Amino acid sequence: MKKIKDRLSILRSIIDALKNKPETVEYPFGDLEIPEGFRGAIVINSEKCIGCGLCVRDCPANGLELIKKSRHEFKLIHYPSRCAYCGQCEDSCRHGAISHSNQLVSPTTNPRGLIVVLHEKQEEC
Amino acid sequence: MNKISIPIGPQHPLLKEPLSMQIDISGEKVLGGSLRLGYVHRGIERLAEQRTYVQNVHLIERICGICSHIHTTTFCHAVERLLEIDVPQRAYYIRAMMCELERVHSHLLWLGIIAKHVGLDTIFMHTWHDRELALDIMEELSGGRVSHATNQIGGVRFDLTDHQEAMIRTTITDLSLRVNNLLDVIKNEPALQARTRGVAKVSPEMIHQYCVVGPVARASGVDVDFRRDDPLPPYDQLDFNVITHNDGDAWARTVIRAEEARESLILCERILNEMPDGPVHVRAPRRVPEGEVVIRSEAPRGELFYYLRSDGSDKPARLKIRTPTLAALSLLPKQLSSIQVADIPVVMAGIDLCIACADR
Amino acid sequence: MIEAWFYLLFFPGLIFQVICGLIFEWLDRKLLARFQRRVGPPWYQPLADMVKLFSKEDLLPEGVNDLVATLLPIVSLSAILTAGLYIPIAGFSPYSFEGDLIVILFLLSVPTLAYYLAGVVSVGIYSTLGGGRSLLQFFSYEVPLLIALSGPAILSGSWSVKQIMVSQATLGPFILFQPLGFLLAIVGLIGKLKRDPLDIPKAKSEVVGGPLTEFTGAKLAFWHLGMNIQAVLGIFLLVNLYLGWSKGANPLLTIPVFIVECLVLVVLLSGASAIFARLRIDQLAGLGWRILVPLGLLQLGFVILMGV
Repeated sequence: MKKIKDRLSILRSIIDALKNKPETVEYPFGDLEIPEGFRGAIVINSEKCIGCGLCVRDCPANGLELIKKSRHEFKLIHYPSRCAYCGQCEDSCRHGAISHSNQLVSPTTNPRGLIVVLHEKQEEC
Repeated sequence: MNKISIPIGPQHPLLKEPLSMQIDISGEKVLGGSLRLGYVHRGIERLAEQRTYVQNVHLIERICGICSHIHTTTFCHAVERLLEIDVPQRAYYIRAMMCELERVHSHLLWLGIIAKHVGLDTIFMHTWHDRELALDIMEELSGGRVSHATNQIGGVRFDLTDHQEAMIRTTITDLSLRVNNLLDVIKNEPALQARTRGVAKVSPEMIHQYCVVGPVARASGVDVDFRRDDPLPPYDQLDFNVITHNDGDAWARTVIRAEEARESLILCERILNEMPDGPVHVRAPRRVPEGEVVIRSEAPRGELFYYLRSDGSDKPARLKIRTPTLAALSLLPKQLSSIQVADIPVVMAGIDLCIACADR
Repeated sequence: MIEAWFYLLFFPGLIFQVICGLIFEWLDRKLLARFQRRVGPPWYQPLADMVKLFSKEDLLPEGVNDLVATLLPIVSLSAILTAGLYIPIAGFSPYSFEGDLIVILFLLSVPTLAYYLAGVVSVGIYSTLGGGRSLLQFFSYEVPLLIALSGPAILSGSWSVKQIMVSQATLGPFILFQPLGFLLAIVGLIGKLKRDPLDIPKAKSEVVGGPLTEFTGAKLAFWHLGMNIQAVLGIFLLVNLYLGWSKGANPLLTIPVFIVECLVLVVLLSGASAIFARLRIDQLAGLGWRILVPLGLLQLGFVILMGV
């Protein structure tokens, strides 16, 4: 008798599984819970960015590029297809300018052409 | 019956990662096998010499997907030892908590895989469903389910809020119930025992001869655990049990991992209770003085060994990593010479292959 | 004449059996998914899979005899479809005759042989290994299945499936007299269909796909369709032999009862697939000859004594 009871020990887990709803989230029709600290797309606070380039130097994947024309004129470019979403740029920045939001990066059919210009500052004449 | 040779080739439903084996069989009896590695070799050690220490923390994390946190923890310990800085105790405790959660998730993953190879698909799905709870905790804390960029040189990158601590406690209680349930099912299910008892026994002499570490060694009675034998902080202040079995067959290897998962959850709660207050990070200089250091730690699969030599600049001069799966793989051809064909999945999964770790 | 074409092509011939096979596959996958906390496929999934397989390239390795490899799935599917003509669906069977139980069992063993030959004719190590295992499995489950299925025939005194079903209206459903035989028949059916826990010839972890590793395209679609229709016919046969109930042949009552009985058997098969682990081939041989055959003989002896 014990052998039959042992064999049916999985049966309890199966009955448990039938009682609850399935665990699958039917994305994109179901709602997905994303925690706040999720490392998603990169956003920048343009007021605080001074173009020092610490984030570019520390990025392990060469995902950021700084094009400097003069001291106050610079362009910061981010390549989402090269980015490893590690958060090192957020740690390296001493002014709190660049950070991760918790938005997902949407898929694309042209990853190499995906370039996001984060910040562009022109000299005022 | 004459001898035929089947390839368990680079692609096979049995393997998660590519590995090439030629197994000689005759009828239903296995005669032996030969092994070939290197399909996932990416040259991590050479790449590490061309990147700064700050960038290397993220490179080292991508050696393996399952045991990523212990690789970065060991690397950061090595660099901090060379820099001779004092990392705050709270950072050590957070690192240890993530290590134990990673051990739980790795063992639950493995239990699902062995159930699937034996034919019990239901236990596979249920185990991976329970593993999601551990991954939920890690996502809540660090921002990623699989790539948790927890460590930086000098501490960790985040601190626990009160809300997160409450969430962790409820989830760990829930997860402990489920792991206990799973342990009951595994111990009572006669089919799993019928497929794994007495299969591929490994004696302690063979363990010593092939330098095998981790749960495979502990399942044969060899008492070795680097959390206790060569502890990194905070394991020298924590109290936990090391589990050994004496049988040495595939059944012992199954049960020991389930019991280790349960023990890790108890240790996790203890870490949460004893965590001191304080900062979580201290600033570290970018240039590391000259020197060399050896650090060992306990990954979910065994002993992880890091050798680091620096020459005063901000890039390492030599980084050498030795992962536990490499030693277990050398035992594999010997184990294969005494089993039947139907036992091949059980034996190959029993050493918990992580080829990405072994190939680097 | 028109009637014959209708029976052959529509009901209970080709179209009806194909639709039943697709419904069975959907029910099986959906139930298994719900047991495992998953959502499972939508209702049109098996049809979509079949259409997709027909549109794929049809490739065979060098050294394989093309004619034999093309004929095997066709012969297997034809044998199964022909066997379906003799099994009563809710009491309706246009071609039944005395002795058709033996014809059905003979026709249903053709696919097993074709499966083994497919393993032999495909030049490849996994196929040969799987083929050898399928023949070993055939020897282990077929004898208990035949012994179990001859129980109802002896009890009702006739070898025609329709007669057996009708005689249960007076004697009562045979499952009450032969529960052991019913259990043996279910185990034999699982072995015949090569489902978990007896899917040893096509165990994914050991032999990658078994004998069907090298088949693609339309041939693979025929093999899968054959497997599914065989499952449906096995369920119909068990319902007729053990759970017959045709009081007065009133279709409004017999059709829903028939459907409910079939669904119960589907749930039983999917549950067995979810709960039990795969056996090793030597464990299956031991189980078949040391436990199942003696139990079958015991049940047969009991039936003969009771008949007398």
